[in-house]
Amino acid sequence: MVGQSGTGKTTLVKLIIAEEKPTEGNIEVGGWDITKIHQRDVPFLRRQIGVIFQDFKLLPKKTVQENVAFALEVAGVPHSRIREVVPKVLDIVGLRKKVDSYPHQISGGEQQRVVIARSLVHRPKILVADEPTGNLDSINTEEIIEILKRINEFGTTILLVTHNREVVNRLRKRVVTLHNGKIIADEKEGKYRL
Amino acid sequence: MLTLFRIIKFAFQDMARNVGLSSMTVLILVLMLLSINTLVVINVFTNEAVKSIKDQIDVSLYFNYEATNEEINEVKSYVGGFPEVTEIIYLNRDEVLAKFKEQQKNNPEVLSALDELGENPLGPTMIVKTREPKDYEKVIQALNVPEYENIIEAKTFGDTQKAIDRIHIITTQVQRFAIGLSLLFALIAFLIILNTIRVAIYTQRIEISIKKLVGASNWFVRGPYVVESLFFSIASILIIGGLLWIAFRLLDPYTAIVFQKSNLLFDYYLNNRYLLIGIQLGSVLFLTVVSSLLAMRRYLRV
Repeated sequence: MVGQSGTGKTTLVKLIIAEEKPTEGNIEVGGWDITKIHQRDVPFLRRQIGVIFQDFKLLPKKTVQENVAFALEVAGVPHSRIREVVPKVLDIVGLRKKVDSYPHQISGGEQQRVVIARSLVHRPKILVADEPTGNLDSINTEEIIEILKRINEFGTTILLVTHNREVVNRLRKRVVTLHNGKIIADEKEGKYRL
Repeated sequence: MLTLFRIIKFAFQDMARNVGLSSMTVLILVLMLLSINTLVVINVFTNEAVKSIKDQIDVSLYFNYEATNEEINEVKSYVGGFPEVTEIIYLNRDEVLAKFKEQQKNNPEVLSALDELGENPLGPTMIVKTREPKDYEKVIQALNVPEYENIIEAKTFGDTQKAIDRIHIITTQVQRFAIGLSLLFALIAFLIILNTIRVAIYTQRIEISIKKLVGASNWFVRGPYVVESLFFSIASILIIGGLLWIAFRLLDPYTAIVFQKSNLLFDYYLNNRYLLIGIQLGSVLFLTVVSSLLAMRRYLRV
């Protein structure tokens, strides 16, 4: 999903995770109509969607491992399962050696990898990444995109919201272009055209 | 059960990792409780002072020396029948004479005059104490009946009525002032606790919204703060208990000199421990829990 700043990309992400409610129209996520979702069902929706934020949104007083485990703890997953899953996910993002570090002790790229691990930990069918490379340099950007590609290859749908032309052109995936809150292009194997 | 365990775990983890903020919250709660307990102590002192002033007031009924025991007993049972009367001390003629002689021991003229008389000219005396100074008038009025006119020679109340009225006004005003001051302090404590918790929650607003975005339910986010409030309340009560224990050990020897009672404060707290701990723990817990829930409300709307 591409589009200029202020065109409504982040609003779309907020609508998908029920952080905002639509004034009109319908939103369906994996066959679940969340247009008028009840407040008490919102946590269940969020546990089924993995979200990666540009500003990471990591809990500063929790370690890398605890941040990832937290996503499972809120869902009531047993301790034994958490101990089994969390190290595996941290392996996928290459952070096995940083499990006991706090967010402020690791780099921006590593923090974003923790966020990816956290969003993956409950095996979501859809992963929403809102400008995941917006705060990263080119090397870290490359690494994050590679991880996302790998996750996609394992069968998870990824909605990548970005205005990074290079990333979009290199991926050769479906590109939806948003302008003033409306879809102006939807190409199966598109390029960044703004 | 698993969720409850996790909520408790997160509460203790939060407290340990925000040790500065946790200590500050407990410190403010302790300071507030200290000011409230200072007022409790002032109230104890005020009540004790008022009580000791009231204790010193009594009405003496001087009987005619010819009054018979039957007549005196009738007055005694009549006066004793008033619910306002708390104590009646009866002194027979010999006791009155002995007391008089003791008072006049440095006055040989009076003592020799007594000896010359050859017999005891003094009648028996009855000392009446009531619950409140204002009740004396009622007792005196009740005794101003014709059948007792020849038995009771004199009543001291008439001379001291103005003083008793004045003491009643002063003690009532002092007690009212103490209650007013306590209410004012309670209000100040309430506002300070409310704002301390609001600031504590404000510093964690981003974490609260992140927890919600990750899929935590409102109660999963609120839970640790409720547990922390409980912990802070208990910790502050324990600390204040320790501080008061030390303070009373230091203060009680001095209060014993003033009020003629040893361990006045210590005994007061010991006798009212359940009420004092219950009210203070309940109030602090209620305040901290309610203020954190209220302060958190806006940050949970994510």
